[in-house]
Amino acid sequence: MVGVWLERRNPARGSRWGGVNRAASALLLAATAVWTKPAATCADLLARGRELYVLCSSCHGDRGQGDRQRSAPAIGGLPQWYVEAQLHKFLAGERGYHPDDVTGLQMRPMAQAVHRGDDLQAVAAYVASLRPQPWPRTQHSGDTTRGQTLYATCIACHGADGKGNEALKAPRLAGQADWYLIDQLKKFRSGQRGAAPGDAMGAQMRAMVNVLPDDNAIADVVAYISSLRP
Amino acid sequence: MLSWLVPQASTSARDIDWLFTLILVTVGFWFVVAQAALFTLIFRFRRRPDVAAAYISGERKEEKRWISRPHALVIVCDIVLIAGALLTWKAVKQDLPPADERVRIIAQQWAWVFVHPGPDGKLDTDDDVRTVNDLRVKIDTTYHFELTSRDVVHSFSVPAFRLKQDAVPGRIVTGWFRPTRLGTYDIQCAEICGIGHALMPARLTVETPAEQAAWYASRSAQGG
Ligand code: HEC
Ligand code: HEC
Ligand SMILES: [Cu+2]
Repeated sequence: MVGVWLERRNPARGSRWGGVNRAASALLLAATAVWTKPAATCADLLARGRELYVLCSSCHGDRGQGDRQRSAPAIGGLPQWYVEAQLHKFLAGERGYHPDDVTGLQMRPMAQAVHRGDDLQAVAAYVASLRPQPWPRTQHSGDTTRGQTLYATCIACHGADGKGNEALKAPRLAGQADWYLIDQLKKFRSGQRGAAPGDAMGAQMRAMVNVLPDDNAIADVVAYISSLRP
Repeated sequence: MLSWLVPQASTSARDIDWLFTLILVTVGFWFVVAQAALFTLIFRFRRRPDVAAAYISGERKEEKRWISRPHALVIVCDIVLIAGALLTWKAVKQDLPPADERVRIIAQQWAWVFVHPGPDGKLDTDDDVRTVNDLRVKIDTTYHFELTSRDVVHSFSVPAFRLKQDAVPGRIVTGWFRPTRLGTYDIQCAEICGIGHALMPARLTVETPAEQAAWYASRSAQGG
């Protein structure tokens, strides 16, 4: 665009600047071609992801806010690396593999629906582009003060603010639905999550639930996590 | 004849294919005869110069026979087919041959959970092996299955066994099969059950007792 605009103005300016401008416009054209290309594919990826997300929205909601009736967590705004990693786990049978993991088994085929080409990446990029939709507390049995003490162990990976840590592959917990967090911690404890061979990150997290001796401890730490905002 | 298209891997598959062939041959034979008669007559009595078309009202005895005889024949054939169908129904659905082993099949949105009896051959003991979307059975062994659902109606369909049975939540449906051919076959859900219905396939492996024992051993070595 810029190149064309320069060309049009050239004749009026006289021939002295003609060559310079032509060279400049060629350069600019080349430069815009280089700059806009990755941007264009990125937009394509998001557009493709948005199309694919129609399937996901029937459980996770149109803004990725989650749906308790369907046991579907809030995923809007989760980082792309985490969404991709989890979808790969569902695909590989490292999550949603256990006969008793009713909700994990519901999610698993959905990952199969996006296994072609870069569909998985596209939908993950779209999910990551959504604004996080923090959940209000729904479970009121937990003790936030005790939870804060228990959360001290978690800080190393999930961060003091619960925002997660990409280098350690630990996801954001702040803003996630408390019923979902409780459910997942129980799944880590019982081996319904994090016990599949090959799931190194899940195994790390599974080792960490040992600091939560019982259901009360889980309720407490989740009560504290629910007080953190994304 | 159907086995050219889908492998025939159970006794019921044999029975059902026999019925299929009976129907195909009976109906097919008379279809060919009827078409041949039709086209022969069309050709034999085609338009000729100087021959006026006759108006046949079909009231004379020898004319009516063209209707009444095939009609009687159709009824005879029908009786044969119904008899064949009842025999097959009895063999496949009515009779419940004594079980050598039992398996439990639990359908859910959108997966199949299979409970295998384990090395001791009995369900509800500690060595039961549970799998997701992976059913393994021994060849030439009569299985009773207990089919149920955790949520909505699904249908357990194994084309190679010619077996299709609805899974209804709150009910335990008992059925049986006896695998007769080694190999791996498809299981699919045959009742629309929600958004993931199309993504609900599973595998059925028919193996030798030795292979199954080895599989059980490898499972317990992995600790589950
Ligand atoms: C049928 C409902 C359903 C549909 C459709 C669905 N999901 Fe899920 N999803 C779930 C459930 C239920 C869970 C929780 C699984 C568990 O309990 O372990 C989940 C979990 C997830 C998680 C893990 C979140 C976390 O914090 O670890 C991600 C990521 C996810 N879904 C992405 C998707 C994407 C992307 C799609 C669309 C391709 C999709 N889901 C479609 C039900 C669904
Ligand atoms: C050693 C690092 C580490 C520590 C410490 C740790 N986690 Fe995690 N956590 C992880 C990783 C890695 C994952 C992602 C697992 C996966 O990839 O499936 C995870 C996942 C989770 C999830 C699932 C989130 C989701 O969206 O599905 C919850 C809940 C969780 N951790 C809670 C905790 C709590 C509570 C503590 C403290 C008691 C804790 N974690 C301590 C590394 C850690
Ligand atoms: Cu189904």
